Amino acid sequence: MTEPVLRIEGLTAGYGSVDVVRDVHLEVGKGEVVALLGPNGAGKTTTLRALSGLVKASAGSISMDGQDLTGLTPAARACRAIAHVPEDRGLFRGLTVAEHLRLGPRGERLDAQLAYRYFPALPHIADRRAGVLSGGEQQMLAVGRALARRPSLLVLDELSLGLAPVIVEQLLPVIRAYADESGCAVLLVEQHVHLALEISDRAYLMAHGAGSDSHDAAALRRDRSVIQASYLGGQEWTPTADREKERDGEMQ
Amino acid sequence: MQTVVLFALLGLGSGAVIAGIALGVVLSWRGSGTINLAAGATVMVAGYVFWAVRTGFFGFALQTVPAIILTLLFMALYAVVVELVAVRPLRSASPLAKLVASMGVLLLTQALVLLIFGTSPLNSPSVLTSDVVSVFGVAVPEAQFILAGIVVVLAAGLAALYRFTRFGLATRAASESESSAALAGLSPNVISLGNSVLGHVATGFVGILAASIVGLSATTLPLLIIPALAAALFARFTSFGIACAVSLLIGISESLLYQASNESWFPTQNGSAVPGVQQVAEFLLIVIALWWRGSSLPLRGDLVERSLPMVPDQDRLAARVAPVAIACAVALVVLPSDFRQAVTTGLVATVLCLSFVVIMGYVGQLSVVQLALAGVAGFALSHLEAAYGIGFPLGPILAIAVATVLGVLIGASALRVRGVTLVVVTLAAAIAIEQFVFANPDWGGGQSGASVESPTLFGLNLGTDASFRGLDGSLPSPVFGLLALVVTVVLYLFVANLRRGDLGRRMLAVRSNERAAAAAGVNVRAVKIQGFAIASFLASVAGVMYAYDFRTVSANSYGTMSALSLVASVYVLGVTLVQGGVLAGFGAAGAVIPLILQTWVLPENRVSVYMQLIIGTGLLIQLRFCPDGLLVASATKRERRARASRAAKALTAVGAKPQGGV
Repeated sequence: MTEPVLRIEGLTAGYGSVDVVRDVHLEVGKGEVVALLGPNGAGKTTTLRALSGLVKASAGSISMDGQDLTGLTPAARACRAIAHVPEDRGLFRGLTVAEHLRLGPRGERLDAQLAYRYFPALPHIADRRAGVLSGGEQQMLAVGRALARRPSLLVLDELSLGLAPVIVEQLLPVIRAYADESGCAVLLVEQHVHLALEISDRAYLMAHGAGSDSHDAAALRRDRSVIQASYLGGQEWTPTADREKERDGEMQ
Repeated sequence: MQTVVLFALLGLGSGAVIAGIALGVVLSWRGSGTINLAAGATVMVAGYVFWAVRTGFFGFALQTVPAIILTLLFMALYAVVVELVAVRPLRSASPLAKLVASMGVLLLTQALVLLIFGTSPLNSPSVLTSDVVSVFGVAVPEAQFILAGIVVVLAAGLAALYRFTRFGLATRAASESESSAALAGLSPNVISLGNSVLGHVATGFVGILAASIVGLSATTLPLLIIPALAAALFARFTSFGIACAVSLLIGISESLLYQASNESWFPTQNGSAVPGVQQVAEFLLIVIALWWRGSSLPLRGDLVERSLPMVPDQDRLAARVAPVAIACAVALVVLPSDFRQAVTTGLVATVLCLSFVVIMGYVGQLSVVQLALAGVAGFALSHLEAAYGIGFPLGPILAIAVATVLGVLIGASALRVRGVTLVVVTLAAAIAIEQFVFANPDWGGGQSGASVESPTLFGLNLGTDASFRGLDGSLPSPVFGLLALVVTVVLYLFVANLRRGDLGRRMLAVRSNERAAAAAGVNVRAVKIQGFAIASFLASVAGVMYAYDFRTVSANSYGTMSALSLVASVYVLGVTLVQGGVLAGFGAAGAVIPLILQTWVLPENRVSVYMQLIIGTGLLIQLRFCPDGLLVASATKRERRARASRAAKALTAVGAKPQGGV
């Protein structure tokens, strides 16, 4: 297999002295859409924030195209073609839609036309401030802005938060289409599990800060028991069982 | 009418300086979320450096243009240093800490300028043309118009920069949400640095040009921050145009006020105009700006959670207080006279610092008006005695009541204002009181000061001239010192106990989140008013004690810069801890620590400037390395250790083995 775009190995991260995420492994390949699923408090958002550098990782490594990201600031990581749409959408209320599509790191020109092509509603509201847009429009802008940066890794945190399911159903296929067309790697966290699995190639499950091995999205769609177990607790879900055993062995 | 127009034009020069400072304030706010109290000092630094390179102070004299360029380069460097020392390390700190850091910069730069260039004002060589134009037959310097024009162009240029360039866009974005900006690949550090350099260079440029018009003085220029802050408040710390326009209007109004003070209808006292009307007007302007433009600044989304200093528990009070109190009592009798005096002054200053602990540490409101309130109490005491013959003990009680009521009024006028903006109000209030009340020949002490009789009770002299003398038989008498010791210990216990009580807990709730406190049933307004009342009371008691200590009150003892120094030293030691108040008190002007330094370490005549230098430096170091304050850091460490050992004991008590790992 070729080098994945994103490789997270043994990531441990948290807030203060409390680790929220422990020993998480995941990979995302080129053109692949990977979902990160799990109940509230599982550590999904923290994993994404650690990936972007907003949370410091206390152990493990995160690498993009084989290059280690450790020690880089969030801004420097963003400049490595990571586009992260956070839970709060990461917009600036005082800036207009058009200004958002001009706002990039030094030396990077955003492709506003690309955003307008994927979200045809955006050109009509180009002069409005982000603060007065509806939730759906804001999310379109957030995703459109991320796409306009032509990232090699797109990170999406709860696109569906606060949106009607019908809008989510419109947004997610756009992500799939973009990944297929551009070869961008996509890592998404989503509470609408079935919608996420429909557009994903693979999925990782998380619970209580521990991650699982990779699952095939199609298999998860067919067999809901694994996911139910990860949300509700049960035998079917083993958080990366082998590694867990190894670690127990070491401790004893 | 003609004179009105004329004086309006003459105000353009000072208006332009205020505008230059206001632009710097807006840039700092937008770039890093700091309310930069040192923006006025920027004008001072630029003016002095330009004067020095132009006149050959450093051994070489340059022509005007190279001198300007060199000065601006220096200002850029200065901006980088300030950014690295006082802004970047505090990115994660509370807005209060950022503001205190800029206060540290202000104290430090002013002390440095005073040490390097001396205290007397200088005449800067003029940069702009010295031609005059005739307006209504009166010569008006052309430079006034040019300077005002340059400031307007600067403001327009900055507005355009923010509107049309990528840098401006990035700054606007980052000031809204730093984390979103970071995710968008914008570095908040670089943006903050860029704005800082821009601000210092722009303000410095205005300072260079204006130095010959407004004069170079290390004592007056930094205080131009007050009108500049008023203008910035009107601009909501955002609009360059409004900040510039309001600044020019303030300059014009001040000039008109000056002209009016020569008119027959202007209120006079003893044949001369009432002093300080301008400062009162500035204070009122700030209050109006705050009511009109809303209660708070535009919100900033900072990258890191804001943290407040810890408030350690107060335990084993008696064991802690008794040795210090006994040591003070012995010192008051045994030590030579100048040290006895210093111990007494330290005790009085401690009471003043306790008022900062209450209002800043417990309620989380940065108020710098306390020293001025102390002054009000002192002057009230003197005048009650001189005019109405009211002496001890009714006189001090009335004086304390008057000053406390004034403090509560100032607090009430700022009720809608929280945290950072409050400092603007109280700073303006302090300066207004200083100029309007203290400098007034009738209400205050005028130039000479007002005398105070020693307190006597039942024929017993309790003052510093009592018959009971120290071991060396000289004045001052330890009697007043012992009285001050008793008062200080009582108030210390009161403030320490406040932390443990219900009101203290409500204060802490208000400090950490006003809305959450209100939702939990705490009456935020009432708590704030109570906080102001207690703090004002403490300050007033200190003011009365000061008056008895020195047996005279004069405006100099209650100056605003001394107030800032005091606030800073309390902050360094730990604003949330009563012990911090004590140490800061003994480090205050005239107290023990400066006396020790003066006697054995420092050159005698400039000890206050050196103290200011030490405090400013200490503040920046403390904010960098233990942002909660020196004493608080050690107290929390002790607390944590005690908790850990308690937990271990509890474990062994139930027979469980302490377990390794998490």
